[in-house]
Amino acid sequence: MVTARRISQLIFFIFFIYLFFQAAYPYDTWIPADLFLRSSPLIATATFLATKIVIPTLIIAIVLLALSLLLGRYFCGWICPLGTVIDLGDRLNRNFLKGRPNTIRQLRSWKFSILVVIVIASLFSVQLIWFFDPIVIITRSMTATLYPLFAFLVEAGLNLLLKIGVLQDQLFSLYDLLRQRILPVHSTFFQQSVLFAVILVGILLLSLISRRFWCRYLCPLGALFGLFASMRFTRGIAVASEQCIDCGKCQRICKMDAINDDFRSHARSECIECMSCVAVCPTNAISYQLRPKLAVQRVDMSRRRFVYSSVTGLMTLGLIRTGFKSPTSAGQVVRPPGALPEPEFLDRCVRCQECVRICSTTGACLQPGQLESGWEGLWTPMVNARHGYCEYNCNLCGKVCPTGAIHPLELEQKQQIRMGTAYFDKSRCIPWYRGEDCLVCEEHCPLPDKAIKFDVREARRPDGTIAIVKFPYVDEKLCIGCGICVTKCPVPGPGGLFLTNAHQQRWGQEPIF
Amino acid sequence: MRTINRREFLRIAGAAGAAVAGLTPHFGLFGGENQAGSAAKLIVVYNGNPSSMVQKAIDALGGINRFVKKGDVVVVKPNIGWDRVPEQAATTNPELVAEIVRLCLKAGASKVKVFDRTCNEPRRCYHRSQIEQFARQAGAEVSHIYEQKFKAAAIPNGQQLKSWPFYADALEADVFINVPIAKHHSLSRVTLGMKNMMGIIGGNRGEIHNRFDQKIVDLNTVIKPQLTIIDAVRILVNNGPQGGNLNDVREMNTIIAGVDPVAVDAYAATLFGLRPAELGFLVEAQRRGLGSFDLNLMKIEKIDLKG
Repeated sequence: MVTARRISQLIFFIFFIYLFFQAAYPYDTWIPADLFLRSSPLIATATFLATKIVIPTLIIAIVLLALSLLLGRYFCGWICPLGTVIDLGDRLNRNFLKGRPNTIRQLRSWKFSILVVIVIASLFSVQLIWFFDPIVIITRSMTATLYPLFAFLVEAGLNLLLKIGVLQDQLFSLYDLLRQRILPVHSTFFQQSVLFAVILVGILLLSLISRRFWCRYLCPLGALFGLFASMRFTRGIAVASEQCIDCGKCQRICKMDAINDDFRSHARSECIECMSCVAVCPTNAISYQLRPKLAVQRVDMSRRRFVYSSVTGLMTLGLIRTGFKSPTSAGQVVRPPGALPEPEFLDRCVRCQECVRICSTTGACLQPGQLESGWEGLWTPMVNARHGYCEYNCNLCGKVCPTGAIHPLELEQKQQIRMGTAYFDKSRCIPWYRGEDCLVCEEHCPLPDKAIKFDVREARRPDGTIAIVKFPYVDEKLCIGCGICVTKCPVPGPGGLFLTNAHQQRWGQEPIF
Repeated sequence: MRTINRREFLRIAGAAGAAVAGLTPHFGLFGGENQAGSAAKLIVVYNGNPSSMVQKAIDALGGINRFVKKGDVVVVKPNIGWDRVPEQAATTNPELVAEIVRLCLKAGASKVKVFDRTCNEPRRCYHRSQIEQFARQAGAEVSHIYEQKFKAAAIPNGQQLKSWPFYADALEADVFINVPIAKHHSLSRVTLGMKNMMGIIGGNRGEIHNRFDQKIVDLNTVIKPQLTIIDAVRILVNNGPQGGNLNDVREMNTIIAGVDPVAVDAYAATLFGLRPAELGFLVEAQRRGLGSFDLNLMKIEKIDLKG
């Protein structure tokens, strides 16, 4: 059984990595790349509560949650990719952890507190799952931290080999091959990647205190599964009392510290069905049974703690809501095409960075936002048009959004929906301030009837000479805010144009013009 | 789709030629050793399919063996700049590229490389332009651009640029065949062969766009194509160089080939109703001895495949 569980963990982890690499241009897979995110009941619960509707893509998560009434926290032990990573870390830590006390049981209730805070906040339309959902954490870390690191190292290795100067042609063909799917076509760097790394490493380092620290004491998805597991209809781990010799091996091997001190019972909300105890028991007293047994166990959550957590939830959401939003920076927040109106977008966006990931394989405009739109908008996807632009012929971001915060658009719709509008900064644009032709922006404007037009006029240059110059301007009615003009502008720094969300058309809204 | 008929076309070309003759008092120098011999000979083929037209054009120039020797490494440089399909006339005709690749390989080229530094995401451009597929089938080595392969090249005769990164494969090639598509371009009015050389340079290409005429000629002094073949099967007459509107596309079914890059561009400009002397980069190129835009001095051989 332990072997079966390990194989399952491995398969799901490989599947997770596979889907990660599938979330890339040209995205021709029939399996949705955001399948793991769609499978997180925490994402489903929080977004259902925040939006007050049932989002169809997330129904699979509810099925998986209902399954835990039969199978307990099977998801944590057998499927969760973050759990697998933590298990791997714990394995490497084995020697360090040996002989340490395995029990800090009073911390068990923390995860329920976090769950309550999240649920209360979502009820009032403030999303907090993005900080706590394990699937979100691992997806975001993959996108923004681990994959860039991987790509950097592979490319560094290739460059090193290229410097040696032999087999150049073969190396470049290998490079070409890798670039089709594995390596990025242009360098992928993300804002706050170091912060995401710190969070992931922090979670792994918590295992120095005890194994699966995150899963035992902090993970709100685990808490949600645990809540259902405590009401399960089946027995799960069962101990034949008379066969038990009180050796305590099961308790020592238990990753989750789920086994009580009588060695004959366990906390169902904690057990992740990993089967280690079944395997370790010298007298085969422990078995795994799916026979029905109806009995609800209390979870480690006192009424008082529930009240405290609810109050904390209210405070947190209040603090986030009352944070200052700078109108200047908020006006520069350009959302992906098909994004819902901002309040609904924030209700749904779980900051998993799937859209950022898939975008980085083509136009590379999306970045995890910082505090541009306040704390509510932290890590939400926004366009950084100086770094990348929205590819005119691309509509992939909406296809991988697990919660529909970005509506999946047909290409024709996407090519018409307005993300924002570009404006010239005439004090920085070459024709305007220097009296010389340039028109790089106009050349790159992808619209069949270009949104950047120009006047041909006489201009006096700074040196006093007169020249005929093409002066570009934006036709506000035509611009869709893809940002390619901003990206390609040769003026360094802020550039001769900038992108704002003026006249943006969110999904479901009527166009301004 | 509106097509210009041949008579109209010849009338424009003729008028343009006459105008140029009147406007240019000095005769251009035919520079560059690789343009010696039948330097001013220009081949214009029309009314065939892309492969037959390019075969004819190269035959008329003396055959592919004149350009490609056994064992040569050849670069065939199309325009793959945009994420557009061939019908939109923003990228070089894929059949034309493939036929040139086949001819080079038949002449004994050890390798034919096809690449371009794209403006949109490269995989999209390579794929949707169909150049990747066609050129690969023809036996070319089609690859993306690699930052690692750019090398700073000195531009001793540069007026605006003294050095610029160039793609090593282009610098090291034995033969460079430039295969642009003829398109409208707001800054330079048209983009043809000389402008197509921007696909082999690194750095911030946007910087080339101010004082463009001088800078583009600077770049063209570094690598001189042995042969320029302009794809005017379909040309983009407005909203270039990217297009996107099929109403801006004209079916010309024409190919212009020659060894003088300035002459080839000069002739192609007339397809847009422009006089070569109106184009700053051609004037600058002739002044610096890269070739001649004087249509009256050229020996233009027109081949109509229809009749």
